[in-house]
This record gives sequence, structure tokens and C-alpha cells, in this order.
Amino acid sequence: MSEEILNIKNLTVDFGGVRAVNNVSITLEPGEFVGLIGPNGAGKTTIFNLITNAIRPTAGEISFKGKNILGKSPDRICQLGISRTFQNIRLFPQMTAYENVELGFHSEPHYSLAEAFVRTPRARRIEIDTRKKAMELLEIVNLKEHSHARASSLPYGLQRRLEMARAMATNPELLLLDEPAAGMNDDECNDLIKLIREIHTTMKYTMIIIEHHMNVVMDLCRDSRIYVLNLGSLLAMGTPTEIQSNPDVIRAYLGETKND
Amino acid sequence: MGYINTIIILGGINIIAALGVAILTGYTGLFTIGHAGFMALGGYMSAIFVKEFGVPFPIGILLGGTFAGLCSFIIGYPAFRSQLRGDYFAVATLGFSEATRLLLNNTRSMGESINAAESGIGMVFKPIGPLLVKLGGVFGYMSLPSPTNVFVVVVAVILALFFAHMFVTSQYGKNCIAISQDEVAAQMMGVNLLKTKMIALFVSAFYAGVAGGLMAFYFAYLTPSFFTITKSSDLLAAVVFGGIQSLIGPVITGFILVVFPELLRTFAEWRLIIYGFLFVIVMIFRPQGLLGYVEMNFEFARAWWNKIFRRKQNSQEG
Repeated sequence: MSEEILNIKNLTVDFGGVRAVNNVSITLEPGEFVGLIGPNGAGKTTIFNLITNAIRPTAGEISFKGKNILGKSPDRICQLGISRTFQNIRLFPQMTAYENVELGFHSEPHYSLAEAFVRTPRARRIEIDTRKKAMELLEIVNLKEHSHARASSLPYGLQRRLEMARAMATNPELLLLDEPAAGMNDDECNDLIKLIREIHTTMKYTMIIIEHHMNVVMDLCRDSRIYVLNLGSLLAMGTPTEIQSNPDVIRAYLGETKND
Repeated sequence: MGYINTIIILGGINIIAALGVAILTGYTGLFTIGHAGFMALGGYMSAIFVKEFGVPFPIGILLGGTFAGLCSFIIGYPAFRSQLRGDYFAVATLGFSEATRLLLNNTRSMGESINAAESGIGMVFKPIGPLLVKLGGVFGYMSLPSPTNVFVVVVAVILALFFAHMFVTSQYGKNCIAISQDEVAAQMMGVNLLKTKMIALFVSAFYAGVAGGLMAFYFAYLTPSFFTITKSSDLLAAVVFGGIQSLIGPVITGFILVVFPELLRTFAEWRLIIYGFLFVIVMIFRPQGLLGYVEMNFEFARAWWNKIFRRKQNSQEG
């Protein structure tokens, strides 16, 4: 058995009197592609926020590559190799697509402040290198021709892709995708599935995807596992076929059937 | 001629301070109404270095700027640690600047009481007692050398603009811009908020300090009344009018805001009313400022150069 990359143990968080996440444990092995589904308000995004420490848990443990990351600041966690996208897109609106991606590379600047002021040959080389890498990423997500467009001026679907490219630029080992297919039609979903699968195989990321489009999740996780959350608790875990036939899951999504 | 020189010098000094505010407010999105405080700290410190320790004038100015930059950590570290943003940070800077001004107001009496001290805490500060008396409190720090002239100011403005451009286009500057646009996303993408904001504040305070130094060596004396909240709000006005995420905007307005009151001397009392009115107009019709998001660049010069150069090449080929 290979060593797990992410280990969440008995994670619990309360918002006031509401238990948003209740005793959730998730483990991921390197290179895995795991789905996270559940009805609205099940606590899926909250789990992402807990992993990246946007929210502090009430109880529980999170370790990444064997090291405890609980209480580390979000930027530190990002530097350690966890990156994410957001449910409601959070790009830098006035920056160009290229600048958005570039930021992921240099959020920890690669030269000193003094070098920034005089722009030594070394600093210039680093900048050219970063530019090349950012362009490569834009090419992967098919945004190269939009590289100089302002992020806010891009259509919705492209903004989602741009956000993925930006997350990839931080050179993560674990990539958290929060509803990448939200608001997309079937054709766009199919393109997205292809893109995400390509990213997963070429970049060797470990990935967790939150998604409401069942066909997207079932397709992407067909060789892997899906976790189902309901009302903050883990309801089920298994392969797509197991999940689809699990009576608890069906009940959570469709409600109770009354047998008179 | 002397009158025009005065306007150019005061305008240039204002431009340098406005560039500092542009880096902090325009690029990092942190509003400040306390940069007069950093100007005061830089001005007094460089005056002390040059007059009391005989440091050469340019080095004195740089030391003054560095001192102002270091002092910015006093307010920056606790404010950014506790994640003060927007108005709250602005109020913190205002408090810092007013505290600085009031301390300077009382240097003379502080120095006198230290000199008179026979025992206790006064003894600890005994060596700086005479210096504090010299600073003169409200009466001002008198008879400084005055090497600031048009040439010095123009060179300083060009250097300041060059280095500001270098900073905002560097990886550090781009991280600052990211923070101004979406702080949460920036942090999630790995930007260290505390460090990046402190760097922006340091550079910004350094600029203000240098402007203060130039001012000291132009007027040949310093009094705390130069550095009131009016000065700070003038600088903020320059950046808000000139445009956020722009260097050239604040440069132009920073200069105009000095020239205008000079030209309209008779309307001096009306100035603040006119400012307030203009503020409202700009905020309604152009919230990003007159030249907001217009990056200073030399693309036009490059295009021009290419045109000439290419034509030469073409004629060589042909």
C-alpha cells in the first residue's frame, strides 16, 4: 500500500449552532481522482475551505504528505502543494488571463526585492522563464489566444478554465476543483471532462472534484471512488456503480419514499 | 523664474510622495491618510543626518527614506497581522501620522526636561536631550542646508518614477496588484499577505520619507505644521484623481494639485470645497480615477523607434 497524500481524520466544524461538517474522514492516495458529491448544503465546499484553512475546524486532523497542516496559513498550505479553484469564480478581474496564470508561479517571488528594483539579468531570465511556463499552461487549457484579454471580459466557461490554469501554476500535488462544470451545457461538460482527464494523466496530480453534474462525476471517477456527503456527514463511499445503486444516496438526493 | 522654480520643486516633491501613495493605495489597495507622518519622519531624520552628522546630502535623504520605511513597520506589522483593511487601515495610518506630528510638536520641551533630569528615566535619554531641543518642537528645526534645487528634484523624480515602475512590474508588484483585486484568492494562490503588504508599505513610506527630506532641504527648516492631515489627504487625492493602478496618473495630478492652488491663490480657502466637489464627481463618473488602470508604458516610443529602425532595415534589404 502506498502512503496516503491526504489524510483527514474525524473533521468537525460548527458554525454557531450548526454542525456543517460532522466527523468526516477521507484518505487519498497519490495520483487518485476522487469525487465529492452531495445535495446542496452538504458541506462539500466547507471541506475544501477546511483543507486550505480558509476556515478553522472545531475538531479533527488534516495531514498532507504525512505532515500536519492544521493551523498553517492558506498561503503556506498553497506553497506546500495544495491548490484549488472556487465555486464562485475568484479570478483577479482586472488582470489579463496571462497575468492571472503568471501569479500562480510567482506568488512566492523568485528574486529578491533589490533585484526587483534594478531588474538584474538573473531576474529578467526568471521572468522570461515564468512567461514561457505560463503560456504553456494557457495552451493546455486552450486559452492561448485569449492571453491578453482581461479576465473579467472572458466568457464564463473560459473563466473556469483560466481558474484551473491558475491553480495549476502554483505547482500543486493536490488539486481541489470546486464545481468546474457548474452552469455548463452537455457539450461544454464533455470538453471539460476531456480536459480534466488530460490534466490528471499528464500532470500526475491527486485531485478531488466537487460536482453536481452526475454524468461528469461518474465519468471522471469511473476507475476511482466517490464520497457522498449529506448534512455534513459521510453517507457513502465507493465506485460510481456502487454509489448509483446505494439506497441511502438515492434517498438523500430524491427524498424518502412512503410505503403505505 | 524663481516662482516657476518653486512650483517645479514643490510639484516634484509632491510627485515623489504621491508615487509612494500610488504604490500603497493604487497598487496594493490599502488606503492611507497618514503619509504626511512618513514624510515628517524622513524629513527630520535626513535633516539630522546631514546637519548634525555631516552626512552628504543624497545619502542623508536615502537614510531618511529608509528610516521612514522602517518606522512604517511599527504601524504595518500590527495592522496587517490583525488584518485591518479599508477604512480601518486608513484610520490607523491617520493615527500614526498624527501621533508623529504631536511628538515632533513637543520635542523641545521633552529635550529640556531630559536635560534638566537628575535621575530616573530621563538619564537614559540624556544623550539625545540636546538634539531634541535643537529639533525645536513647534518652533521648527532651523537653519538647515538647502541644496535642493530644480535639477536635484527633476533627477529625483525621474529616478523615483523609474524605480516605482520597476517595482510595480516586478513579481512583488504583481503580487500587490493581486491583493488589491482579491485578497482571499491571492492568499489561496500562495501570496503571503503580511509580507507583501509590509513590503508595499515599506517602499511607500520610503518614497514619502525621501519627499520629506527634499522638502527639508528646500525650505531650509522644518516644522511639524508642514505635515498635517491636509498634506496626507492631498496625496491621497492625487492618487484617487490620478487613477488606481497607474503611475502616470498620480504623477500628473500630484503636480497639478500643487500648481492649481498656486495659480488660484485668491481661492485658497475654497480649495478644500472644490476638492470635495471634484472627489464626488470623479467617484461617480470614473471610480477608477482619471487614468485608472492605464499603465505607464513606453510602447508608443518603442513603436516609433521600430518604425524608424524597420524602415532602415527595409531600405537595407531593398
